[in-house]
Amino acid sequence: MARGTAKKTVRRKKGISYSKWGYIFVAPFIVAYLIFSLYPLLTTFIYSTSNMKSTVADFWGFDNKDVYYDRYLNLNELYTDEFTERTGVDQTSYKRLREYFDKFQSNADSLDPLNEEGIQAIVDYANSSDSDKYSVEAANAAKTAYDNQDFSYIVGDPFKELVDWYSNYKDETMMNIKTVTSVKSRLDSITETETSDGEGSSDEDQVTEESFVQSDEFTEFLTTLNDTEFNPAQQALLDYLSGYLTSALGTDYTVQSYFQDVADGKVSITDPTFYYTCVTLSKTKIDFAEEGSDEKILSTIDVPFMSTLESFLTENSWKDMINSMNSTSSLEDYIKGEKDLHDDEEQLYADLKSLQASGIISIVPLVRDGDSIVESEDYTENKLLAYRRYIDSKYQSNPTATKAAAQISAIKNFGDLTSEGGAPAKFEALGINIYSMINYKGAIDFDKYREVKTAIGLTDALNYDSYVRLDSERKQANIEKAQAALDENKALLPDAQAAYDAAKAGGDEKETKKAYEELRKVENNIKEAEENISNPTGILQKVDSKQLYIFTGLENYRQIFNSKTRLDNVVGSFFNTTILWVIGFIPQIGLALLLSAWFTDKKIKLKGLGLMKGLMYLPNIITSVTIAVFFRKLFMYSNGGNLSASQLFLRNVIGMKDGYNFFESVWATRFIICFINFWMWYGNTMITLIAGITSISESLYESAQIDGANSFQTYTKITLPLLRPMLLYTMVTSMIGGLQMFDIPQYINQNPPRVNFNGTMILSTRTVLMYINSLAFGPQFNKLVGIACATSVLLFFATTVLSLIVFYIMRDKDAAKAKKLAKKGAKKNG
Amino acid sequence: MADNKEKLDQATEKVSDEAKNSVAAAKKAAAQEAKEAESAVETAAEEVSSENAPSEPPKKLKSLKAARAAYSTLVYVVVTFFALLAIFPFVYMITNATWDSFTISTTLKLWPNFKNMGQVITNYHTLTDRATFSFAVGFRNSFVISVSSTALSVYFSALTAYGIKVYDFKIKKVLFALIVGVMMVPAAVNITGFYRLMHSMHLLGTLWPLILPAIGAPATVFFIKQYLDSSLSIEIIEAARIDGANEFFTFNRICLPLMIPALSTQAIFSFLGSWNNFFAPSILLTRSELKTLPLMVASLYGDRYTDMGAVNLGLSISVVPIIIVYCFLQRYIISGVSAGGVKE
Repeated sequence: MARGTAKKTVRRKKGISYSKWGYIFVAPFIVAYLIFSLYPLLTTFIYSTSNMKSTVADFWGFDNKDVYYDRYLNLNELYTDEFTERTGVDQTSYKRLREYFDKFQSNADSLDPLNEEGIQAIVDYANSSDSDKYSVEAANAAKTAYDNQDFSYIVGDPFKELVDWYSNYKDETMMNIKTVTSVKSRLDSITETETSDGEGSSDEDQVTEESFVQSDEFTEFLTTLNDTEFNPAQQALLDYLSGYLTSALGTDYTVQSYFQDVADGKVSITDPTFYYTCVTLSKTKIDFAEEGSDEKILSTIDVPFMSTLESFLTENSWKDMINSMNSTSSLEDYIKGEKDLHDDEEQLYADLKSLQASGIISIVPLVRDGDSIVESEDYTENKLLAYRRYIDSKYQSNPTATKAAAQISAIKNFGDLTSEGGAPAKFEALGINIYSMINYKGAIDFDKYREVKTAIGLTDALNYDSYVRLDSERKQANIEKAQAALDENKALLPDAQAAYDAAKAGGDEKETKKAYEELRKVENNIKEAEENISNPTGILQKVDSKQLYIFTGLENYRQIFNSKTRLDNVVGSFFNTTILWVIGFIPQIGLALLLSAWFTDKKIKLKGLGLMKGLMYLPNIITSVTIAVFFRKLFMYSNGGNLSASQLFLRNVIGMKDGYNFFESVWATRFIICFINFWMWYGNTMITLIAGITSISESLYESAQIDGANSFQTYTKITLPLLRPMLLYTMVTSMIGGLQMFDIPQYINQNPPRVNFNGTMILSTRTVLMYINSLAFGPQFNKLVGIACATSVLLFFATTVLSLIVFYIMRDKDAAKAKKLAKKGAKKNG
Repeated sequence: MADNKEKLDQATEKVSDEAKNSVAAAKKAAAQEAKEAESAVETAAEEVSSENAPSEPPKKLKSLKAARAAYSTLVYVVVTFFALLAIFPFVYMITNATWDSFTISTTLKLWPNFKNMGQVITNYHTLTDRATFSFAVGFRNSFVISVSSTALSVYFSALTAYGIKVYDFKIKKVLFALIVGVMMVPAAVNITGFYRLMHSMHLLGTLWPLILPAIGAPATVFFIKQYLDSSLSIEIIEAARIDGANEFFTFNRICLPLMIPALSTQAIFSFLGSWNNFFAPSILLTRSELKTLPLMVASLYGDRYTDMGAVNLGLSISVVPIIIVYCFLQRYIISGVSAGGVKE
């Protein structure tokens, strides 16, 4: 570092001031820095206080906004009548377009049937030594499908073979994933019913808690419950439920007294236990018949008001309940395998338990035990028990087989869904093989999509311009409507005012109040109309407004610090970054110290210093992605023919028969990354240190030599102490660089093995930047922009602290000393 | 069509030539190095012995001499090892780009396929058939971004540093303190805000987001300011003023040429930084025709690319231009690093 201290400036000369030029010269820098660095930084801070979660047009769609409109804007909902006349779009074609998105594309997105990792697992498992597996051909068909991004390669025999294997496959992880999948679809169906029913049911008689309890169906059932003689099976069920109610509610209940309390309004029907009781009564079919007897004695008790109750609950309490659960938002991650079932285990278990207790899902079957009915204790049936067992035993399965099975399950579901009702055939009639025309990677492949749109025949009729036109038409219509309302209300205003004045003058309080309210109403209408005119509603907000910034304060930070999983992931990524940096840095600085000592040692007088420096610095200037991919290919593992150099070496030279899979081992992967960092940076550090050593005054060494010090002594007593600031500087700058580690870990292993961090399984080589990148820019649909920004802010503070350290080290010590001395001198003299 | 093919062939030839040259160069370098190391050991030994030649050396000194010789041999061995380690991956990468996938995955090859250099062309076709890897497109985009951002960064940083150094104005001290304060803050932390800004400026889907921010590069300003502190004399500027030059003229014609040593160092590092940049382009450039070379290389990651010859060729293609440039600019780069003119 040049420590320039001269602070010469032009003295002002006889009134000519150049200071304006100073501003002109620094202006471009300041403007560019403000716009491109400070403003984004500020907005990152601001976004970290918002709930921004978005993928839609205004946030991520730039060149292809129309595609996002096609996808997320359902014109059918906006133009319910005279569709074609109003939009200029053929309705049959449009329905096909909707089918493409709503059916195929969204299934492809949610199931991800051609996921690289999953397909790789399918292939790996086919090549593994397990005895019970599908054929390699079937696996290769899946691989070919993946390579060509075309599902049609799997359809047919390979599909059957894979699915057959999958239905026989038993693994606790799988079982639990299946549970979670079914829970997810159940919850989805509830939330979906609600949105579609939202407006339709408002005209019908509104069911309230009161009207429900007073309804005929309910009173009738209450009578049945009290008066009927139940068969032994039904009695056993009632006994079970009575016991359940007593233990769940802490009061001595029988089913009859419980229902009486409901009728009296002492217990709300939105109480989860109520629905559980009803659903158990109506759906539990357990046969108590004697062995060998044809007669069936079933425990079912018909509950007449089930459908009314269900729709009431869907509208009134279930959504809130589902939304309040902590783990439901991450269910998708579990299903896709992005999260391990061990990640959020206790939370998920608690949520499943309360969902079960509310009757929304049924994962704890009831079975007969002698003369009574009990909860099943067989964990293959009782999913809640299975999950508990899984958590307690930290069950380890064959990861490849499980991954393969999960992928096949996705393939199966996708195949089942799309073949339903001959939908692919409909598209085939248009000359589109729908299986190959879907985008299987989450992100939209615009070329592919445009081909489909052309085949459907909507390219000209429905483009960006037509959306803008429809939007402006809608806006215009709304303006006109508002204008009419404005005129009407303006006309009413004088009368209302007069009426109010008259009433006020009349002194009748009631009249005055009424007139006042009337006046306010008119005024409000005018205000609203004016607002609608100045800011009219179009159709595009539906898609564009999804990204609107909504202030949530420190919610994102709260989410990070309150959710253990999230916190572990964030802290874990900082931890990973630190580990990767430290393990690389120690040998890096060590070797750099050693080499720099040798290179500057007068006694050895190394030849070829320039060449050596040149060679050792070379890795530092090469694109780090290239290096990462190179090492990836160098250490890659495979069973088959394509052996990487390291595998060849292990097999042929060392003699390991099966080679070694570096990327399945946490520490091997980490060490490879650390080695690359070390290898890329020791040359740089060495050169800096050599520069530091050569700047140390020669006379120090000479006097040391005269005093008879040997090389080692001069090194430890002179070089190292004087080099300390330089070493610190190197360390801190390297640390700042290390915090931004991204390219190498990202491209060494995109799916590194997981490691247990504080009880959460986190990706073992995921650095902070990788985490931010995956949250905000990853392939998933809901991009957690807010949380990504909050993590960025944490990273920013970490870097700032380190920068301050550098600043402190680099501060002009000589100048500071000189100042001090000058002060002292002044004191002495004065 | 034919034209394209011709171009392709030319490109392939060029690539293979480059590969050849660099392989040869690398080999030569290695050989020379080994030779040098040997001779150095010898001379060192000679020196040691000649030092002690005049008087009859006592036994103690003799053993000391032997120890010293052993020590310097050890030093040479270690240094040579690390020098070789530094270039080994590139040698491996480039030599293997000339072999076919089968050979690579059955035997360890550390020398080029001299017998059948045509294999490089086959590999090139395998590589580009996938359509995700287009050297020409990647090179063009990288080049455009790096050259323009370097030019902007160097010119405007020089302007700013000069402004701070030469003129006396109110915010000067605060500004410089701020520059020193923020120069370590990585651009990566504000990526989300930056993306959003670029979107609202309608600059996504272009190369501008990677070029324009170069105007405000605090670290470059800092290092140029350091240089100016030690080498620019105000008298020159005053002389120019007396001769009636306007301030911009003084800067562009008189002072800028004087700053060339500092500017070229900064230009080299700014260029390399931009050329090797990966994080921001990977987020900002989504269209395939805008991808830079590192993004193209990243597409080789997937296990779909199983042809190792083609993969090595793709990697080499991204490495060779840098190595060639490095051969010419090595001296400047290393002195730049020595002067601490690099971030990180």
